[in-house]
Amino acid sequence: MVPIRYNVRNLLVRRTTTMAAALGVGLVVFVLAASLMLNEGLARTLDQSGSADTAIVLRKGSDSEMPSSVEDKAISLIKVAPGVKSSSDGQPLVLGEVVVVLFQDLANGKGKSNATLRGMPLDRVQVFRPEVKIIEGRMAAPGTDEVVVGARVVGRFKGFEIGQSLDLRKARPVKVVGIFEANGSSFESEVWGDIEYVRSAFGREAVVSSVRVKLESPAVFDGFEVAVERDKQLGLEVLAEPDFYRKQSENTSIFIIAMGTLIAVFFSIGAMIGAMITMYGSVAHRKREIGVLRALGFSRSAIMFSFLLESVLLALLGASLGTLASLGMGLVKFSMLNFTTFSEITFQFTATPEIILRSIIFGGVMGVLGGFLPAIRAARTAPIEAMKG
Amino acid sequence: MSEEATSAETSKASAKASDTTTAKRSPIIVCRKIVRSFWRAKERLDVLDELDLEIAEGSFEALMGPSGSGKTTLLNLIAGLDRPTSGTLTVAGTEVSAMGDAALARWRSQTIGFVFQHFNLIPVLTALENVELPLLLTSLGSSERKKRAQIALRVVGLEDRMHHRPQQLSGGQEQRVGIARAIVHDPKIIVADEPTGELDRKSADEVLHLLERLNKEFDKTILMVTHDPAAAERATVLRKLDKGKLL
Ligand SMILES: Nc1ncnc2c1ncn2[C@@H]1O[C@H](COP(=O)(O)OP(=O)(O)OP(=O)(O)O)[C@@H](O)[C@H]1O
Ligand SMILES: [Mg+2]
Repeated sequence: MVPIRYNVRNLLVRRTTTMAAALGVGLVVFVLAASLMLNEGLARTLDQSGSADTAIVLRKGSDSEMPSSVEDKAISLIKVAPGVKSSSDGQPLVLGEVVVVLFQDLANGKGKSNATLRGMPLDRVQVFRPEVKIIEGRMAAPGTDEVVVGARVVGRFKGFEIGQSLDLRKARPVKVVGIFEANGSSFESEVWGDIEYVRSAFGREAVVSSVRVKLESPAVFDGFEVAVERDKQLGLEVLAEPDFYRKQSENTSIFIIAMGTLIAVFFSIGAMIGAMITMYGSVAHRKREIGVLRALGFSRSAIMFSFLLESVLLALLGASLGTLASLGMGLVKFSMLNFTTFSEITFQFTATPEIILRSIIFGGVMGVLGGFLPAIRAARTAPIEAMKG
Repeated sequence: MSEEATSAETSKASAKASDTTTAKRSPIIVCRKIVRSFWRAKERLDVLDELDLEIAEGSFEALMGPSGSGKTTLLNLIAGLDRPTSGTLTVAGTEVSAMGDAALARWRSQTIGFVFQHFNLIPVLTALENVELPLLLTSLGSSERKKRAQIALRVVGLEDRMHHRPQQLSGGQEQRVGIARAIVHDPKIIVADEPTGELDRKSADEVLHLLERLNKEFDKTILMVTHDPAAAERATVLRKLDKGKLL
């Protein structure tokens, strides 16, 4: 075996070239790691949003709350379905909410985007979403034109600040009175107001978008689902909340991963060519040296391995830099359109050990592929090169 | 010894050889009808032409001849870096002309020590690490390798420079490190192609003195190609090559 320090020092000696090639690999790994982190962030945000003992009822065939509509009278039937939990005062824990899209001016003046507005019985927020905390101001009062804004969209849209007001529609202003957090879930990208105010503003009296139901336990879900879906006239569909949110993110997740992989693969061809050129240069530059090693008795495979290793070390250096840079992205908030709900969802780049490992391995593989042909050339160096003038 | 070999010796070298026992020992290198041809633009060039040669174990031989006469080509064959086009070549009891690439590499690592005209130390490795290289192909452990590399450096008088890189050494010192690398694995044969070609007189003399010592004290068989008559004088046998034939 040719000692590893031989490779390390050769990389150090050719500092500039090494760095240039490593940065190429680093860029690719950065793109890959960032897209994996983005996907992870999305999954986490939506995962936080669901709890296993909550069922969500929608109109059959609606992928999301937005296009769904459930009439108020269906709610009274849901309330008596088997497995529904009751509060201490005997009230069934069933929550109808209306969800609409607000097309709002962005605060930075760069056009408009969609935000989600959820109308709900504001006095029952704590029952269904105990994680919700008001971090500034106060909760909006039921039956009024007050709203609270999720922490992640504060400052992103025009008017999303305490004390400001915004128009839901023409002549339908609401006042922002508080900012809430919800454990990092997608609710933090929403605006919440009183259900009746929202329904009348959008002309949706006597219908809701979705009905959330607290079940006695996750185990009774199947019985509840059968009972509600049995009545074909109602045309309802029951989902466990975690499944619902997973479905919500599917399209977006596929998009992020596809884009990330596409860009990474595209760039990686360039980066591998960069690594290959660097290694070919190295082999040419060290032709006599390789001849000497061969003359001393190092085998072709030992030389091949040594140069492959050098290329992998180079790539790993780049991969580490790329991964490190992607970790820096953890500080950045990211907004994008959820392709199922067509409203904006804000989330963060989230690193996991698995993502870091995968990215670094990807870099290492680039080193192997880029270094392969140069390593073969090195292994083919004749030992008589050592004797040439 | 063969007749041709004897006739190729100069009177002075043969006088020197006679007061040692080396001349009477059995040959360690035997070349029989060695041909090495190269093709250049479809024209065949016989660089070595049916060359016969025997070199006795323990001798210190110098090979001289005009540029292009085939000295390096012959040395490459004997050292197992290259294979003859035809003929048989037996070195240290092994018929190297019949060996495959991998076997030949292993054989070199055990049998041959190389001293190069351009020193050929690995620039990124220290003197000690350079000397240690041939031992990496043995089963020796790391501390034993270090120890032996240090001893080899002590033999060439450079133990105090063991952590220096080649750049930090003078030409003469570099070549002495090269010699330490050539002997560290205790090979039977040392081949040296113009080992003093890049050195000033004083450094050259030090290197030659070392080679003499290796021959006398450590019983190494040495084959040295040189253009320098003063260097050739140190050898016990002097051979002359011209146009692929020994004179
Ligand atoms: N690989 C090769 N291909 C073609 N011709 C070669 C090759 N190697 C050597 N030769 C030719 O063989 C002849 C002898 O070369 P060699 O290197 O053995 O000479 P030399 O005696 O060592 O010369 P010098 O004193 O200049 O080192 C030269 O004409 C050279 O051009
Ligand atoms: Mg030569």
